[in-house]
Amino acid sequence: MRVYLRSVLAALAVMLCVSPLAIRGQQPASTPPEPTPRLADGTPNLGRVPGEKGVWNVPYIQNMADRASGRGAGPAGRGGGGGNEGGRGGSRSEPHIPFQPWAAAVYDYNSVNNSKYDPEGYCLPPGGPRMMATPYPMEIVQLPEQKRILMIFEGATHIWREIYMDARAHPQGDALNPTYLGHSVGRWDGDTLVVDVVGFNEGTWIDYYGHPHTDQLHVVERISRPDKRTLRYEATIDDPGAYTRPWTVSWTVPWTPTGELTEYICQENNRYLWNLTDDHGQPIFGPQR
Amino acid sequence: MTKRMRFAVGVAVAAALLLTGVPAVFAHHSFAAEFDASKPFKLTGLVTKVEWQNPHTYFYIDVTDTATGKVTNWAMEMGSPNGLMRQGWTRNTLKIGDIVAVEGSVARTGQPLGNARTVTLTSTGQRLFAASSQAP
Repeated sequence: MRVYLRSVLAALAVMLCVSPLAIRGQQPASTPPEPTPRLADGTPNLGRVPGEKGVWNVPYIQNMADRASGRGAGPAGRGGGGGNEGGRGGSRSEPHIPFQPWAAAVYDYNSVNNSKYDPEGYCLPPGGPRMMATPYPMEIVQLPEQKRILMIFEGATHIWREIYMDARAHPQGDALNPTYLGHSVGRWDGDTLVVDVVGFNEGTWIDYYGHPHTDQLHVVERISRPDKRTLRYEATIDDPGAYTRPWTVSWTVPWTPTGELTEYICQENNRYLWNLTDDHGQPIFGPQR
Repeated sequence: MTKRMRFAVGVAVAAALLLTGVPAVFAHHSFAAEFDASKPFKLTGLVTKVEWQNPHTYFYIDVTDTATGKVTNWAMEMGSPNGLMRQGWTRNTLKIGDIVAVEGSVARTGQPLGNARTVTLTSTGQRLFAASSQAP
């Protein structure tokens, strides 16, 4: 371990001399951040600059409660933080999350079994804010002449989402078909892209830790690029079926200027499912033991 | 491998990790539901099979119990091929017949199954991070 630590320190020292800008997110104080790139009409460009590479390096956020407003200044509760090593405290450790009683009970169950039944473990996609919390690269492609924006996610299950920018309304009644990613309508509020999403099915969790939601979920996202290397993401989670009031989460997503998307087909060889057992120790998909 | 060599390899790996700027952790399923981080292992064995596939690359090693001579074939889980490639791996980094030392955590079920954090190629001393889904 000492050898490893010394190696890291030495590597850092070498890189600080050779290539100060190469270190992600650590620009010298004297260098101002590169400005927000813009399209010809002045709209913020949330994607690549022509002639350059680059992807958004989506962070791994396991527990949205740690990123929720109202958490207070103290350390993360036992419901969150601390990685995935256990020691999760469930709903009681998250007084700032407005659980309805049944949602608290489901969350506690997911806490006790270490998120064993997480749909992402089944290679099902994330929905809502979790798309921005599943740690694989992502690109945003703006098509202003077509009045739509695409977000392409390498990971989870190699998914894309389409944000309609043509001022349409959400489909009403049975015309709104519940889906994993929902129905997204966007507009610009100054330099911030505001996306209103409804029409979620109940096949996803809000996060890895297992905050539940219903098909009444309504998410409002606010996405901006304050400088070239930073995407700011905020989502208000409004689900009157599971929570007593809306709650808001936010974080930033760093830009990796050398990155490109690659293929990731999760369903190829998902051995986790073969070994998955139910609460009675019986295989869920494999033969009975 | 000498301490100096280990240090040099460590510098190279650490620099590569810092330069690539991608997360070292790639999530797919619940790590804690399948593996026990409080039960780390270090095993050396002969590679018998490699599955360079999503969502997790697996390789299999024959591990010989030095006391009894009994051979057990262990399955080792790593990250996805794209996660591993961003950390310097290729599909030919591990070959059948290679001898490797693996550090990681064992499965809760007691099966010979592990989640690899690092893999060291005995022939060259090269130590690679396995894009484990365990939180750092």
